[in-house]
Amino acid sequence: MHWLIWIAGTIVLVAAGVGATLLPQRRARALRRRTAWSTARTEIARATVSRDATPVRVEEAERLLARAELIAADRGGPDAAATTAEYARRADRLWREASGD
Amino acid sequence: MTDRPARAWSEWLRWGALGVAVVVLTIFLVVQGRTIDVSYGQSPSSSDPVPEGDAGELSDATVPSVEEMTRMVADDQIVRLPGSVAHIDEDRVRAEIGGTDSRVLIAPPGLDEDERGRVRDVENATVRVIGTEVTGGFFQVVPNDFDGWREVFGTGDVTSLVTRLLRELRDEENEDGEDGEDGEDGDGIAWREPTAEELGPVTADLRETGLHTAEGSTMDSLPEATATAFPDGDALYAVFPQQEWGQPVPEYGPALAAEFPGRPIVVMYGSWVEYHGPDQEEFAQVVAAGLYGQLTERLSRYDYPQHNVLHAYLNRVTDVRYAGLFDRPLPYQPFDPLRVTLPALPWIFAACVLVFLGLSVRSVLRPVTRPRKYQRGHSAARLAGLTALAIEVSALTGRDGNASLTRGLTALEGARKALDDKLPDQHVQTLLTQAEAELDDTARAVGRTDYRPNVYLQGRLA
Repeated sequence: MHWLIWIAGTIVLVAAGVGATLLPQRRARALRRRTAWSTARTEIARATVSRDATPVRVEEAERLLARAELIAADRGGPDAAATTAEYARRADRLWREASGD
Repeated sequence: MTDRPARAWSEWLRWGALGVAVVVLTIFLVVQGRTIDVSYGQSPSSSDPVPEGDAGELSDATVPSVEEMTRMVADDQIVRLPGSVAHIDEDRVRAEIGGTDSRVLIAPPGLDEDERGRVRDVENATVRVIGTEVTGGFFQVVPNDFDGWREVFGTGDVTSLVTRLLRELRDEENEDGEDGEDGEDGDGIAWREPTAEELGPVTADLRETGLHTAEGSTMDSLPEATATAFPDGDALYAVFPQQEWGQPVPEYGPALAAEFPGRPIVVMYGSWVEYHGPDQEEFAQVVAAGLYGQLTERLSRYDYPQHNVLHAYLNRVTDVRYAGLFDRPLPYQPFDPLRVTLPALPWIFAACVLVFLGLSVRSVLRPVTRPRKYQRGHSAARLAGLTALAIEVSALTGRDGNASLTRGLTALEGARKALDDKLPDQHVQTLLTQAEAELDDTARAVGRTDYRPNVYLQGRLA
């Protein structure tokens, strides 16, 4: 009967250790992902505002923004969000330059 | 900030519990390899009663070749090889043999494996006696009471064993299966009072050194086991060689007990050890029965020096002394914490597991990196200030300021969502900084420096 304590205890120890390591890790990854997408969404919104404020059409900027929105529509991990944000930022810069800001 | 020390404390407790659990588990696993040594009071008698190897059990005696022995046995019904210690009453044995063609071969004790094999190969010998070990056919006859042992080990008399074996073999041949006359185990030793001349030197030696070794005994010094067997140190030892067969044996035990009342006396005849003195009834028989019951086979086959036999006997005495049979006080036993803790180990382990589990669950439910309140408050205040600024500025903007103001409002909206989503404070601050830069642009475009964010926010705070 006592040896059951050893086996069960060891299993619980390992499970608790694995759980206590994995859960925060997963939570941190999810947080990182949401943060990255938050940044990406804000960048897209800013780029959209810049586009609306620009009197001329900038084809490359529109292409960049379209690609950013395409990636955003697929969702994805932090890397996809970072790419999206980068495209949107570049589009935003192009429009601002075009509008002479 | 306030829960910082409590947090550190519980982390310490958590990892401490894990460490203790691992240590306890390791101890448990290591202890599994410990051999269990059951001894009441940890008797200090050495665990090998008769030291093996160089115990001197092999004698110099040897035996002739198989052919020669076969010829000797064919010539004579009873053959006694030189060096033998066993004696038989030839008349009684011949009477037992009767008309049958049984033959007896007596060999010396302490033969090595090879020499014993040679004796066993003498096929025309019905009964073989090696030392005092009596074998024949499928049988081996051993003494099983005190008279029998005393007879065999004290005087080398194996007459009753040989006759019993002959009778057994004959019964087997007749296959009538009756063995009615069992238990007739010889008559024991014929005792006589020791004479004054015999007793004199013994008592003198005992008075002087506590040890008397008679002429012919194979003992020169006492074994170390005396110290634990008779810790009072007042024991007397009288050692005599194997007694001459067929003669009455001087009974020194009672005489010495009368001479030295109240002192333990160990008397040894050959390989037979007996005890006289205090508590004789209580343990003399227990010790002798234990020793000879267990070691008869070795003692009879080999030629152990008396020193070793006495060593084994004294170890046995020590064991009995430590067996707790006689309410004797035990010497101090050092406290062994491991032994005391062992039964508690599983529960300590279980407690540690539970503590670790509980604290792990706690730490998962409330992550260490949770945002600090005052910073969230700070972000929220900055968000509110910037939003108010944006609303005020929006009334002033014409076409020029529109784009940057809208971008600022977009960034503010993103920051608000991030704050609602409980995203990291750093991220919220980044978005707010972006919004601030846009609003700064707006204020410059409008030409109102008092609406520049750092100025405006400072004014609000003041």
